[in-house]
Amino acid sequence: MRLPIHWLLLAPALIFVGAMAIFPLGYSLVLSFREWKLARSPVAGDFVGLSNYINLLTDDPDFLKVVRVTGIFVTADVLVTVAISLAGALLLNRAGRLNSLARTLLILPFVMSPALIGISFRFFLNAEYGVFAHAIGLLIPAMKDTVWLADASLSMAAIIASDVWHWAPYMTLVMLGGLASIPSDSIEAARIDGATSWRIFCDITLPQLMPVIGVVMVLKTVFALKAFDTIFTLTSGGPGNSTKTLAYFVYEQGFNYYDMGYAAASAYVLTAVLMVMAGFYLRLIFAKDRAR
Amino acid sequence: MTQISLRGLHKVFGSTHVVRDLNLEIEDKEFLVLLGPSGCGKTTTMRMVAGLEQATYGEICFDTKRMNEVPTQQRDVAMVFQNYGLYPHMTVAENIAYPLKLRGFTESQREEGVLKAAERVDLGPYLQRLPKELSGGQRQRVALARSIVRKPKVFLMDEPLSNLDAKLRVAMRAEIKHLAYELQVTTIYVTHDQVEAMTLANRVAIMKDGVIMQLAPPEEIYTNPINLYVAGFIGSPAMNLIDVVAHEGYVEAVNGLRISVTAPRQGPMTMGLRAEDMQLTSESDAAFTAEVYAFELLGDSTMTTFKLGLQSVAVKGDKNIRLKFGDHVGVRFDASHLYWFDNESGERIRSTLSR
Amino acid sequence: MKFATHPLNAQALIPGHIDTASDHFRLWWSQMMVFVGICIILLPISWLFLTAFKLPRDVYALETAFYFTPTLENLQTIFEHPWNLGNKILNSFAVAGGTVLLAIPMATMAAYAFSRFDFRFKKTIFLLVIASQFIPAAVIVLPYFLMFKQLGMLDTRSALVLINMSIVLPYAVWMMKGFIDAVPLEIEESAMVDGAHRARVIWEIVVPAALPGIITAAVFSFTLTWNEFLFALIIGKQDALTLPIGLISFRTERGDLWELMAAGGILITAPMFFISLLVQKQFIKSLTAGAVR
Repeated sequence: MRLPIHWLLLAPALIFVGAMAIFPLGYSLVLSFREWKLARSPVAGDFVGLSNYINLLTDDPDFLKVVRVTGIFVTADVLVTVAISLAGALLLNRAGRLNSLARTLLILPFVMSPALIGISFRFFLNAEYGVFAHAIGLLIPAMKDTVWLADASLSMAAIIASDVWHWAPYMTLVMLGGLASIPSDSIEAARIDGATSWRIFCDITLPQLMPVIGVVMVLKTVFALKAFDTIFTLTSGGPGNSTKTLAYFVYEQGFNYYDMGYAAASAYVLTAVLMVMAGFYLRLIFAKDRAR
Repeated sequence: MTQISLRGLHKVFGSTHVVRDLNLEIEDKEFLVLLGPSGCGKTTTMRMVAGLEQATYGEICFDTKRMNEVPTQQRDVAMVFQNYGLYPHMTVAENIAYPLKLRGFTESQREEGVLKAAERVDLGPYLQRLPKELSGGQRQRVALARSIVRKPKVFLMDEPLSNLDAKLRVAMRAEIKHLAYELQVTTIYVTHDQVEAMTLANRVAIMKDGVIMQLAPPEEIYTNPINLYVAGFIGSPAMNLIDVVAHEGYVEAVNGLRISVTAPRQGPMTMGLRAEDMQLTSESDAAFTAEVYAFELLGDSTMTTFKLGLQSVAVKGDKNIRLKFGDHVGVRFDASHLYWFDNESGERIRSTLSR
Repeated sequence: MKFATHPLNAQALIPGHIDTASDHFRLWWSQMMVFVGICIILLPISWLFLTAFKLPRDVYALETAFYFTPTLENLQTIFEHPWNLGNKILNSFAVAGGTVLLAIPMATMAAYAFSRFDFRFKKTIFLLVIASQFIPAAVIVLPYFLMFKQLGMLDTRSALVLINMSIVLPYAVWMMKGFIDAVPLEIEESAMVDGAHRARVIWEIVVPAALPGIITAAVFSFTLTWNEFLFALIIGKQDALTLPIGLISFRTERGDLWELMAAGGILITAPMFFISLLVQKQFIKSLTAGAVR
């Protein structure tokens, strides 16, 4: 008599995930179809169908701006992170005391609270006493005395920089792992065949690294879409709404304006995008599985 | 006192029929070797005896008691795994003691058992070490000690020597043989190495594609192979298997070479002759002559290789012979050492002249 | 044949094989870049560290950037009223500790099931569990808020533990499965042959063998919970405030009290640095293994 022990083992985790993840998802969906201004009534309001969504997409200039901001933020964030982590991994992939030290330090930005990073960067970019602001002012005289956080583009640069600072070292570690799994035989063989370093990189290393780069891109996109803490503490979505991403927008709608239905609808738009990303990610991971 | 019966055993993995209609009766205290290449079903069969795999059809019995539904833990077997299966977080002593611990032996009983088992395999000084601190050979001995610390009904060994280097393998073979003799427990030993099979077994079951090709004591398998597959598997070097077309009074090889022997029947077939059953001789005395393709010095003997078309024929010779590539030599043999096989079925064709 | 001596893979490098001027330059340049990288990582951290020990007046002027009289005052102040960081530290430890204590065993059991058994819908269920890490906090914060409001659990640490468990579980299961996969099946079979039943095998054999992985997953989960911000912001009001929220409480109407924020920052970061450096090797192996496998 074989007892299905695997169900016993799975049950706690499955029940928990089901209750704490699936249920809220459904509830949110239901919410998004209702009108509910929490400030006015303690219970959910009337069923309004898709009007929340329609308002969101057609009637709300704020939202459209938010989408643009999110697009810019995510794209720049991901591209910069991937570039830096790839370069970093290539640099650090050899022996040496300095490299060892660097590899050890890579974990630190990741374990630092993103909220703290946002606060710190805000401090460092202050026009009067911020070290970064002054250091950059020294390097680029034209930028002396600029008030970073009053400028839309510079604020965007700031939140991108802080998110990159948080994640790029971690992604460098991931890339290093990817590099380590490339058999050194293939590189040695190429060298014997007469290839230069550049050719080896293009023809041997990069193709074998593509799966890892793919994973890094997808993961980073997801994390960028979810990013909240840094934006909240660094710019609070400002100046104006030039750094208001979708994640921040949802928070604002729900907990500043208490417009629950609307917030839920916008949250679902975000979720939809993330689920598409999740699809990419899972395909990437399991395609590799099938290839093995 | 354990006799094992395997009746009509089948195992299917997905769409692969790994073990087909296997029937085997293993005597009490017998050392039975399952021999064959990877994928032939030998390990799967042993794992079914252990209970680690469930038979798709068929029956497994210990002493006529049906064991199919009995879980592994209760079968009272001991197993030495190919990679030893040592518990990495336990010391050697704890590893060896674990079966006793599971059975509720007291600490002093366990200590006693461990010391005895360790002594048997010469592991005394290593008892407090962790597996990762040991060499391959030492780890293997720990696995052995763990399996003998209690008296199981059956010993199962899954290619225990295959991860050891050649010299160690030879030494451990002798140890295992001695141990088996001392302990007098029914043993099933799985390997792809025919030397191990020949040296350790009471009986050998050669397997291919899930079926037992021949079940017999080593000597009989060696001198009386039942088909082409068995003939080519056993013996080092492998038996020379030459494609010939038999005519009246002679056979003709692929390259036109004619040898005067009488085959059991006419037409194409395969002729088998072992390297040590042939001798190098002068061209006048020979059954056939050929040009030397390769010559090797083995220390205690020499091996001369000829080519008949694309097929190689190896002849074992005295250690003092010296030949060069291209030399012409004669080869002779006793017709009673010939084996004949049907080309299509691989079955052995017996005649009154040969065995 | 000239060998390119600017290798991209350390294993392929013939040690110390540098022969031309251009190779020296390349090496120098790359080491320079590494140095810059290290600075970029360390500077914000060290600047924060320095600021924590500055008197308020030294913070706001650049002349005193490096030369200042250090003070331990800030570290004291943050524990006093109205900041009460001590309380928040306790809360953070309680929430993070509670989350880890509950989530890790769950995750380990589930990961074991995914790793060792084959059953219908296994792949689908595994995918669902993993995919739940892609659910943005934004979409579940509202239902949670409303749910806990109804249950009267707003502003409680238990609510935070439950929420953090749901955040942490997908990652933990994913990591643990990788680690359990790496434990050779043979030792489990060995134990079964020796006579242990499944529960005993898991507890006495698999868990000790996978212990580095369990610790890594625990540290990772602890980190995520310790730094968790959004839910702490929403759910906590007075009693269940955690350290990250403590940080932003230094943003007052008078302005930002940077020196206190920095002191708080040290408090929140130091444990994380310490733990992560301790388990670093395993941490890195698991992080990279997740993507590379």
